[in-house]
Amino acid sequence: MNEASEERPLWLPPISLVVILLIVCLASFVSWPTTSPEMAGKIGEKTSSPIIPFNLTGQALLLYIVVRGFCYWPPMVRWITSMPLFHRGMFALLVGGMIVGHYTLDSRNFYPYVSWFIFPTVREDDPVTCREFIATTASGQKVRLLVEQLFPSIVQIYPLDDPKHYSDALIDELARTLTTAYNQHHPDNPVRNVDFVVMAVKLHPPASESRTEPSCQLLKRYDFSSDR
Amino acid sequence: MPVAQTLRLLIGPLELLHEQAGPRLLRLTRLGLFALWIFKLLLDPLWRLAALPHDLFQPIGILALLPKEAIDALLRPGILYLFLITTLVVLAFALANRAFPFTATLAAILLTAYSCLIRGFGPAVHTDTVALLAVYVLAGFAWADFFQTKFSKEKTSPGAWSSYPLVTIVALLCLSYCLVGYSRFIRGGLPVFTGDTMEVWAIDASLRAYYFNTNIGWHIPEWPFVVFMLKAGLPVITFFEMTAPFCLVSSHYRWIFMPVMLSFHFLSLVFMNIFFFDDMLLYLLLIDWSRRYPALRRPAPTAQYNSP
Repeated sequence: MNEASEERPLWLPPISLVVILLIVCLASFVSWPTTSPEMAGKIGEKTSSPIIPFNLTGQALLLYIVVRGFCYWPPMVRWITSMPLFHRGMFALLVGGMIVGHYTLDSRNFYPYVSWFIFPTVREDDPVTCREFIATTASGQKVRLLVEQLFPSIVQIYPLDDPKHYSDALIDELARTLTTAYNQHHPDNPVRNVDFVVMAVKLHPPASESRTEPSCQLLKRYDFSSDR
Repeated sequence: MPVAQTLRLLIGPLELLHEQAGPRLLRLTRLGLFALWIFKLLLDPLWRLAALPHDLFQPIGILALLPKEAIDALLRPGILYLFLITTLVVLAFALANRAFPFTATLAAILLTAYSCLIRGFGPAVHTDTVALLAVYVLAGFAWADFFQTKFSKEKTSPGAWSSYPLVTIVALLCLSYCLVGYSRFIRGGLPVFTGDTMEVWAIDASLRAYYFNTNIGWHIPEWPFVVFMLKAGLPVITFFEMTAPFCLVSSHYRWIFMPVMLSFHFLSLVFMNIFFFDDMLLYLLLIDWSRRYPALRRPAPTAQYNSP
């Protein structure tokens, strides 16, 4: 046995890292409260518990393995060590900022240093539902009143069924705002009334069911025919 | 031995992406990135936001530091219009490479405010976040160049300086994918990949509105092949997301990563209305231009360094 192997017993990295990785991965497959359907639909929400050990440690471990890999890779080592002081500091600040931002589990307060997640949780809701405004114009045409299309600056709004973000009064105000915006662009065919509906798509629909449109249930009707 | 050789052939050369990049490539990147933001802002009728109910607006990021009165003042058509014009002017100066550290920093601040403004009406979606961070990188390294030249006594060759922001932008792009993959793998665990999760997410995204609405995604339950593709595709995509940092290392990996992820982004647009336009443009930086075109390579150590 040579000197180096005496200094680093077998149970030290990388073997211990692999074991830790396996433990963390196995533990992570246990259902956490964050994987419940009630929590799952709330995109951009923080989870109910501020500390989720395996969520954080598991991700941290995977990231650590990648970073360690780069630390041992000669071209990266050469590139980093050849950097002048200010540049090295800037590199650390920019990359570190992004990593720290992810571990805040917060996508709002430190934007653009956000928590990165897309489709992160289990969803089992069936049918899948969504609320939206459907207008009937003077010519009888049905049109979807979409905030993201009438106000294209906005990438996406919160789902309209989220009571944390929408009071009944705000939904009413939004219906009127969307109608006004639509009418400004279509003065020759204005909106007469707006239906606030909930659409539903079944994951496993019976064969006999019509599938030409999602099923719609009326929640509220707004009459704007006298608004001109 | 033949196995090792085959493996080595498959993995290909392991070289740091953009290690040889010169000032011209950095200049082109600056041009491309600021042109992208100018294009995006020119298409944006930002002043229309003033018509939306103010109660819908929940400030994020730096805007959350402002008092409510300031937010109300900001959400006026005239102010929003002025803000848009100012941002465009600053971006034009940065595009023209005028006093770059100052204009790029100002552009970064204004673009941050802009991004916070348009996200205040909904969730802080990731669509152009990496493009914004790329502006931070350009501004940050321009200052690093400045301080290093002015104040440091350290003797370093500026030849490699152009590669620093380019490698950092690609690192941030890869990191964004990587963190998304880790998050899904660790937080969601095995059930995300085995149940109906992806189908539900896809239908939900297709029902919810975006600027692009293909109106196709909610038909997914009718098409067993698409359901299979979504379920089988999620672990594959997650694998590529988690291994995205290899883009910095391996050209062979990059040439697999790009078509896979571009197909994924295209299918996301078709079935889920989600379009990562900015990230797709940043994929141009996954090509090692300086190794292909000597004109984009950094000058030899003895040559005179020209600031980009």
